[in-house]
Amino acid sequence: MRNLIIEAKGLGKTFGTQRALADVNIAVPPGTIGLLGPNGAGKTTFIKCLLNLETPTTGTATVLGCEIRAQNRASRERVGYSPEQDCHIPGMAGCEYVTYCGQLSGMSFQRARQRAHEILDLVSMGQERYRSVDTYSTGMKQRVKLAQALVHDPELVILDEPTNGLDASGRESILQLIGSLWKQLGVSVMMSSHLLHDIERICDRVIIIADGRVIEHDSMEALKNRHRRIVELAPSSEAERFVTMLKAAGLPVEHLSNGRLRVETPSESAEPILSLMRLHNLPPAEIVANPNALHELFLKSLAASKTPQNGNNP
Amino acid sequence: METTLDLRRWREKPAGVAYRRWVIVSTGLRQLLRMRFFQILIFLAWTAGVLMAAAGFVFTQSLASGGWLESFAASLGPRPQAVVSAFCSMVLLYPDICIHGLFSGVFWWHSFVGLGLSLIGLSVVIPRLIARDRASNALTIYLSRPLTSFDYLLGKLGLIVGVLLVLWTGPLIFGWLLSMAFAPNSDFFVYSLPALFRAGLFNLIAMVVLASVALGISSLGKTTRSVMMIWIGIWVIGGTIASIPTTPSVVRAASFSHDLNVIRQDIFKLDEILVKAADVLPLTDRSITNNMRRIGQHESSHDSITSAYIGLAAMVIISLFVFSRKLRPE
Repeated sequence: MRNLIIEAKGLGKTFGTQRALADVNIAVPPGTIGLLGPNGAGKTTFIKCLLNLETPTTGTATVLGCEIRAQNRASRERVGYSPEQDCHIPGMAGCEYVTYCGQLSGMSFQRARQRAHEILDLVSMGQERYRSVDTYSTGMKQRVKLAQALVHDPELVILDEPTNGLDASGRESILQLIGSLWKQLGVSVMMSSHLLHDIERICDRVIIIADGRVIEHDSMEALKNRHRRIVELAPSSEAERFVTMLKAAGLPVEHLSNGRLRVETPSESAEPILSLMRLHNLPPAEIVANPNALHELFLKSLAASKTPQNGNNP
Repeated sequence: METTLDLRRWREKPAGVAYRRWVIVSTGLRQLLRMRFFQILIFLAWTAGVLMAAAGFVFTQSLASGGWLESFAASLGPRPQAVVSAFCSMVLLYPDICIHGLFSGVFWWHSFVGLGLSLIGLSVVIPRLIARDRASNALTIYLSRPLTSFDYLLGKLGLIVGVLLVLWTGPLIFGWLLSMAFAPNSDFFVYSLPALFRAGLFNLIAMVVLASVALGISSLGKTTRSVMMIWIGIWVIGGTIASIPTTPSVVRAASFSHDLNVIRQDIFKLDEILVKAADVLPLTDRSITNNMRRIGQHESSHDSITSAYIGLAAMVIISLFVFSRKLRPE
């Protein structure tokens, strides 16, 4: 099906006796997809199998409609990849490196050079682009890695931990850029990260991998809705009255160390709590619906994956 | 605040795989050419080519009536003039021995210079081939593009061939062409061509061997230092051990520099040329004839040419095996 960017059927990979991926079946539509999982879960192996950097032991996969084994080169023609680790070519200046990567994807030198400068502008690389990549800071290396993944204008960009080593402002701008790729250019993004906040912020779809298996795959909205309705309340005063009122209404309440109240509600919205507050004439309070929903869901999924029966691939 | 992506989309059809392989070759060569050390090597290599052309020029002038050599000899006195006249006559009478012999000698000399410079050049190139790409994870970048490991291999192979062309084959062809440009007749072209063919054959064999050994060694280590040590070990230490007369022939055959020396002697056949010249040319001075025969016999190889070829073939196979085993992204 052409409108799927990634489709895997029974994809598996073992290294000797070590199983890295087990029978992954997944169909991913275009968009911004977050790939979540603990260390050693198989995220990078999954990505490497899709890019043919690792040969799958079992199963097949298609990327942008191209079968990864049968159409080896073609499957990577419109895909950009930014690996987790540093991957520069020593002695090359930043713009030279990005140009070279463009040429390796089949761009002419002139087009690749022009495009490299545009992309380096986009990732906020200034005059440092003329310096050797060896001298770059971690943040600059991340930017240049992202630039090389985008230079040939891919339809799908696979980013492995793209915000590692970035400072707060750098991370912010890179996340904005990644988030805009799909919204403004229609470039699908698959982003692997252990930072749930980053994924939650920019991704519209999440894949959770643990122990080499895909244990969750759904849209962010659907996943959050599946989560218990949790509301965090930060009363401006009279916290004890809030607790009494909520308990009287039959809602489980928990005191958090930061002074907030954690409430389980029957509804997706905060409207029932607001009604109770009006009814009891309580002072104003800050209300946050579904805080850390992804985090809790992630932990829950990991716990569920450890049970032997739970090995399905959504 | 949303980022605004003001980007023009690149929607052209990507160039074919041959172009992408060429990009690996040309970019690698461009990086090498920036190095001062490599620039010096190229200068030396092309100076050798010019020297070869100069030798050819002097020789070709021997047949040109009223040429530079004749005029110079006449200015030195009647005796040098007579010697030069005799030499010119000999070249006219025995072009197959004189022209072929002289060019064989020049190309034989150049094969030492070309091979030596190529080996030195490869010391710089080998750590930059695969070891550096593995150490810096750049291999992942190559293989995540629309390139296979075979394309990568061909690109790197092209880089080695490019280095050998610049340091060896280029100056060889250039020197020969330049000396032919001043040749007074087609005899020089006709009789020097077999010598050039032999030089080219040796060049080709060395190129295949050096390229595969270089690729194998470069993929063996993950740091430039370890790769350099392996290369020096195989080239210098292996060559030194093989040059000891008491070393067993099996051990000798394991040194590619020794094997190439044996093959060089077999291809150029300088021994046969010298012995034939001593036998055929009407040289009045017996000591010159004896010296030529003695040098020719000394030059003849005592090592088995078959074991040299087997040694080199084994090295090529082992190198390709190592290369194919190691060429996986980290």
